[in-house]
Amino acid sequence: MIDAYKRMMNIEEPPAPKTAKGFFTDTSLCIGCKACEVACKQWNQLPADGFAITGNSYDNTGHLGATTWRHVQFIEQAKANGSGQEQRWLMMSDVCKHCANAACLEACPTGALVRTEYGTVYVQQDICNGCGFCVPACPFGVIDRTPKTGHFEAGTAHKCTLCYDRLKDDMTPACAKSCPTASIQFGDVEELRTRARHRLGELHARGESKARLYGMPEGKEAAEVGPLHAFFLLLDEPQKYNLPEVPRLPRKTMTERYGWSAAVGIGFALVGALVLGRRG
Amino acid sequence: MAEGYYDYPVVKRPVWTWEVPAYFWLGGLAGGAYLTAALAQNFGSADDRRAAGGGYYVAAAALVPCAPLLIADLGRPDRFHHMLRIFKPLSPMNLGAWTLTSFTPVAFARAASHAASTGLLRGPLGALARLVPTRLAELAGVVLGLTLAGYSGVLLAATNIPLWAKSKLLGGLFMASALASGSAAVTLQAGRRAVPDATLHRLAMIESAASAGEMAILTGYLVQSKKAARPLTTGRFAMPFWLGAVGAGMLLPLLLHRVAGRRHGRALRSLTSAAAICTIGGSLALRWTIFEAGKESAEDQGASFDLARG
Ligand code: SF4
Ligand code: SF4
Repeated sequence: MIDAYKRMMNIEEPPAPKTAKGFFTDTSLCIGCKACEVACKQWNQLPADGFAITGNSYDNTGHLGATTWRHVQFIEQAKANGSGQEQRWLMMSDVCKHCANAACLEACPTGALVRTEYGTVYVQQDICNGCGFCVPACPFGVIDRTPKTGHFEAGTAHKCTLCYDRLKDDMTPACAKSCPTASIQFGDVEELRTRARHRLGELHARGESKARLYGMPEGKEAAEVGPLHAFFLLLDEPQKYNLPEVPRLPRKTMTERYGWSAAVGIGFALVGALVLGRRG
Repeated sequence: MAEGYYDYPVVKRPVWTWEVPAYFWLGGLAGGAYLTAALAQNFGSADDRRAAGGGYYVAAAALVPCAPLLIADLGRPDRFHHMLRIFKPLSPMNLGAWTLTSFTPVAFARAASHAASTGLLRGPLGALARLVPTRLAELAGVVLGLTLAGYSGVLLAATNIPLWAKSKLLGGLFMASALASGSAAVTLQAGRRAVPDATLHRLAMIESAASAGEMAILTGYLVQSKKAARPLTTGRFAMPFWLGAVGAGMLLPLLLHRVAGRRHGRALRSLTSAAAICTIGGSLALRWTIFEAGKESAEDQGASFDLARG
């Protein structure tokens, strides 16, 4: 009976855990070529998002979304330097962070969102019923639901899979493979972290004093969502890249919220019992 | 100038549509009506019991559209049963699906057993309904009904939408609103039947207590939300929120009940009924405005940064 139920509900034993894999995106190396965006679309057969011109530098992609799993940002910074002006461009290829404590995964009521054997966060397309809860739960605004009437996987939630299919065949994810400057580096998370710390030291030594890592276990951004399996080297404050300072994990305050709700319910029941019991 | 990357939002706009606030409203009303009816059965006089028993019918009726509404909002309605393929109370959405699934049969069984006890349901069906263990159904129904009434606010708050998540009180607010609308529905159906004035006064007093509590929690919610409350308190949703949810939905019924407190007979009946209708409508207005304003809040980059500063 239990077996029949598991078959009906597509419940399988998870594969044995392997070494955690992830991305280290070193934005100091990014040249804004968008090869990652294209490679991702191509490998994952994601439809185009139209030809909108945003007017915001070279960024016509705008956001990560259900059919956009890499998004290259173009931040134009100008600062006065004596009589002239100094311009600089910050470029960053954004992606799902594959959080250690993933808000999307915790919110998911169907179990469609799972942690894979590589420690990444993955949406099982045959399970997701498009409830949409993961969408506002993600503190980074990554995951989204496709329109209910569309040609691409209508009505379910989508985001970066860290090329789960390629990992299964010991291949590098498409974006990292296509990146010509090694701004996107793929590998064992532990090893990538060592590399990132080393690189940060290098940049600091060269005078890039505002350079920082985002998503490392020791960073304050890991306070709630944990270390990010896709983490970044940034050249300015996280907010400049639309990254929250301390991304929130909704679970952390949930008990308190239920507590208030229960207190109101119990208080009402007491008042009701008193009013009804006080018969004249 | 925006603090972040152009003026792009940090979080994603919720994809949910009107079915969600409508379901939250009805589910809350059902839970509140069930609780009020159960309180009257256990603590009230014989008149109270008769008058409030109709609350069981209200609860059952309000639950009928709930599941269809919930399912209609899914991206893949054909997979609604995937909600129940696992039990994961950590996810308020999963908890809510299980609660709705278990509360609905309990509420129907209790409504049927009440109908049998008043002689409304006769014959073999009545005999069957008499088999329902009323005490057990009452206890289970109260717990499940309260959960259904209270989880919806927590669900919205368990996101990263500033308007929903900044204050810790949204769950309590929706609970109070549910209890106000549920007890109002019981008052409304009682007022249409021959019930003694004293009973109607008591029911109205319970409803007023819920509305007053709702006002207090709403105040706390707005204070805690600070700037994150702007999409609700100013702009497009300000009118339906202040005039509909607060004015017509809380202040007016409180006032009407005060006036009704000194009236008898027909005047009492019309005043309490009018107040009850206002409370029920106000409860819908509250859910709808907070829900829709939440979508605008998602686009508020500054509020998102504030929320994520701890
Ligand atoms: S970044 Fe968002 S979508 Fe990606 S794992 Fe974290 S919570 Fe989920
Ligand atoms: S939309 Fe799909 S993946 Fe997202 S929470 Fe709902 S069932 Fe889970």
